[in-house]
Amino acid sequence: MKSWKMIFVVFVLVLSQILAACGAPATPTEVAPPEAPEAPAEPTKAPEPTTPPEPVDITMWLQATVTEAGPPPDDWIAYDIIREELGINLEYVIIPPAGDGEAKLNAAAAANDLPDFFQVTSTNRGGERDNLVNYYELGLVAPVDDMFAMMPERTKNHYNNQNLLDLLTFDGAVYGLPAPPSIPKREGFVIRQDWLDALDLEAPTTPEELLAVAKAFTEQDPDGNGKNDTYGIGAFIEGPGVGRRFNFVFGAYGVLDVWNFVDASPDKFELNVRDPQYYEAMQVMVALNEAGVVDPDWPTLSKDEFRARWKQGRFGIMWEDFAALSNKSNYEPFDTNFPDGSWTPLPALIGPGGEAYYGLDDAQFNVFAVSQRAVDEGKMEAIARLLEWIATDGYYLLGFGEEGVNFNLDEKGFINIDGIDEAQAYSAPERQPFTQMRNQLVFYNTLAEISARYPNYTTEGGREMTPIDTYLSFFQSQNWVPAFAKLLIQPPANAADFERFYNEGIIQFVLGQKELTPESWAEFLAGLDGQGAKEYEAAAQQVLSDAGLLK
Amino acid sequence: MLYTKTRDARIYQVGIAIFLTVILLIIVIPFWQVIVTAFVPLDIYTREGIPFFLPPTKWTLEAFKQLMGHSQFARALWNSVVITVLGVTISMTLTVPLAYGLSTRNLPGRKLIMTLVLFTYLFSPGLIPVYLLITGMKLTNNYLAVILPPAVSVYNTLVMMSFFEGLPEDLKEAARLDGANELQVLWNVVLPLSKPILLTIGLFYAVYFWNEFFTPLLYLNRNDLLPLPVLLRNILISSSLNEYVEYNAFSTSPIESLKAAGVLITMLPMFLIYPWIQRYFTKGTLVGGVKE
Repeated sequence: MKSWKMIFVVFVLVLSQILAACGAPATPTEVAPPEAPEAPAEPTKAPEPTTPPEPVDITMWLQATVTEAGPPPDDWIAYDIIREELGINLEYVIIPPAGDGEAKLNAAAAANDLPDFFQVTSTNRGGERDNLVNYYELGLVAPVDDMFAMMPERTKNHYNNQNLLDLLTFDGAVYGLPAPPSIPKREGFVIRQDWLDALDLEAPTTPEELLAVAKAFTEQDPDGNGKNDTYGIGAFIEGPGVGRRFNFVFGAYGVLDVWNFVDASPDKFELNVRDPQYYEAMQVMVALNEAGVVDPDWPTLSKDEFRARWKQGRFGIMWEDFAALSNKSNYEPFDTNFPDGSWTPLPALIGPGGEAYYGLDDAQFNVFAVSQRAVDEGKMEAIARLLEWIATDGYYLLGFGEEGVNFNLDEKGFINIDGIDEAQAYSAPERQPFTQMRNQLVFYNTLAEISARYPNYTTEGGREMTPIDTYLSFFQSQNWVPAFAKLLIQPPANAADFERFYNEGIIQFVLGQKELTPESWAEFLAGLDGQGAKEYEAAAQQVLSDAGLLK
Repeated sequence: MLYTKTRDARIYQVGIAIFLTVILLIIVIPFWQVIVTAFVPLDIYTREGIPFFLPPTKWTLEAFKQLMGHSQFARALWNSVVITVLGVTISMTLTVPLAYGLSTRNLPGRKLIMTLVLFTYLFSPGLIPVYLLITGMKLTNNYLAVILPPAVSVYNTLVMMSFFEGLPEDLKEAARLDGANELQVLWNVVLPLSKPILLTIGLFYAVYFWNEFFTPLLYLNRNDLLPLPVLLRNILISSSLNEYVEYNAFSTSPIESLKAAGVLITMLPMFLIYPWIQRYFTKGTLVGGVKE
């Protein structure tokens, strides 16, 4: 019995110690009382005209640029500068992306506890605007029109796209700050040039030629290893239906993605599946799958698995992001396995009707908002001051680090790391916590930025790899369908059922689980109507017409 | 007849053995794959993917080194330990008296208390009311925000209550006759006889708090407070964003290996604890579930 009492005593002691330690030490930003005493004036130095005498507490919730790298340390020099020069006690919180971040924000919103400045997150691609609309309707976010004049440099560089601003304008006021889109039109159609050369083939220019080349890649041992271990095409499902990884097929028929933006007009705006050419594109998809030239695991592969497979030489034709393909850290495993291998970017395939669209330019962009509570507490000017500083004096510090320590700037304004200690270079893993805001609030896609982010390098085989010139520039020069208005289309009330019916129906046809015939296709379309497709189309047409986006 | 019986019994035994073998394989094969994935070197992964068998000389600890070498790993591990220890302590401190009280048949208002307890089991308040409560109590950025909401599990309480009810009433009565009050009965008689259920329920709580992921994300804004599951998730999610990230914080190990290593690291403590209390575990859950 004594042992039980001893355990109890120890238990109480441990509990008391842990409880005492429960609240971990506060950061300097939290130590500061809400109304800190006025900073003592320095007699020899005139106060900054734009800096208020009392530090303002600003809470900022943003996603990370490099999630695994963690936040900047508490003694980060930027915190000191922001406090001393801008008079702002910044509490910078990294929130998780997608669904978890959305849940965190929604919980805070429900409690009227949104941070002063925050990045709107969403589970769905492009769903940030929808969430902003919700916050606006609840009166939780403030109009930001007045901020533009307070941050002229930032407005000039970051918020200069009227289309994006219009998307975030409700009742005549702008309620969100649209960050410049991540580099637009960044994905493209590529093929293994070494496989083409080995089999003495030309790059495909039509869907028929695509099938022929993919068949050769599958059956004629293009890697010459004596094994039947290659496929023509690799993909995974990313997006509605079969996703955008088969853009090269659907683009040849002008039926990219869900909505028909190619033939959109005030009188007609409908789902692509209504277009007879969609049926033709589906026939090509069925033919590719029946011929066994697509890596058969494509419907179940994850993005990671897909990327591992092209690096393992499993297939020779794909749709891929330029950085995921050619950025040094991503390309290295492929380079090691195939020093003589190379991927060539291809233009859009030309369909039987002469159409050749590359992809949908739906201009994904980040959305930032200021909470109404922050404005009520008089923090708008301080938030604008902080954002302007990030776009001006703080630009290099937050984007790359300290000049001379983490990077060099040449006379043309380009970044390099010549003579910089490898571990201290802005691109080193150790430095990532210090530039976590770069993709959220700092970068706006200048050539100098992109060149610094995706530098040229030499491959194992001695080739000069130029991610921007070879891939990005090529992709961007293709025939993309403008579709930023897609963000205005609200999902139907039965979105889950509708999407399931749509996605499963298309996949079943492609995989041959359901025979693709004019009758079965008509049946599928009738089923979609049963799910409310016509009402969905009418609502979409209405909202785009009202916004003046159907011409 | 005897022969037939024996033959039937054999067939039955063989059938059981085959069935259990299949079940075992269903469990072991994916687990083995996770282990191999965690130890596969980058060059083999990028060349041929994840093999089913990896030559012993090829195994590498690189993924573990990368995860454990992360600047926040030690802090996150400590946070998880604190949340687990404190959570189990508070939970057991609250659950044991509640279960004991409810197991006492002549407790005044027992039915009402039981109804209230069951009400919380049947009707969850949902995320927002709990969030409002936690923020209203100023518990944001405090481990208690993670620990207090799930501190008393109704299920665990009922299992424990059932166990207490199964203890011989005579023992408690004898103690009362000797002048012990209810607390003394609980402390001196009931608890020493209840090791199996205490360890079992303690383990349930430990597993829950160790794996706690969403509430830390919700209530702990400061990264130095985040527990291990959140850190590992942050590391692993990077792979799905890698087209937007120009520099990798990790490059010497496949992302799949990091994921598998993360799984193994997270489950390791529970993996080590389980065998130690397994002999109590079955007894605890069975006795709690079956009443004579």
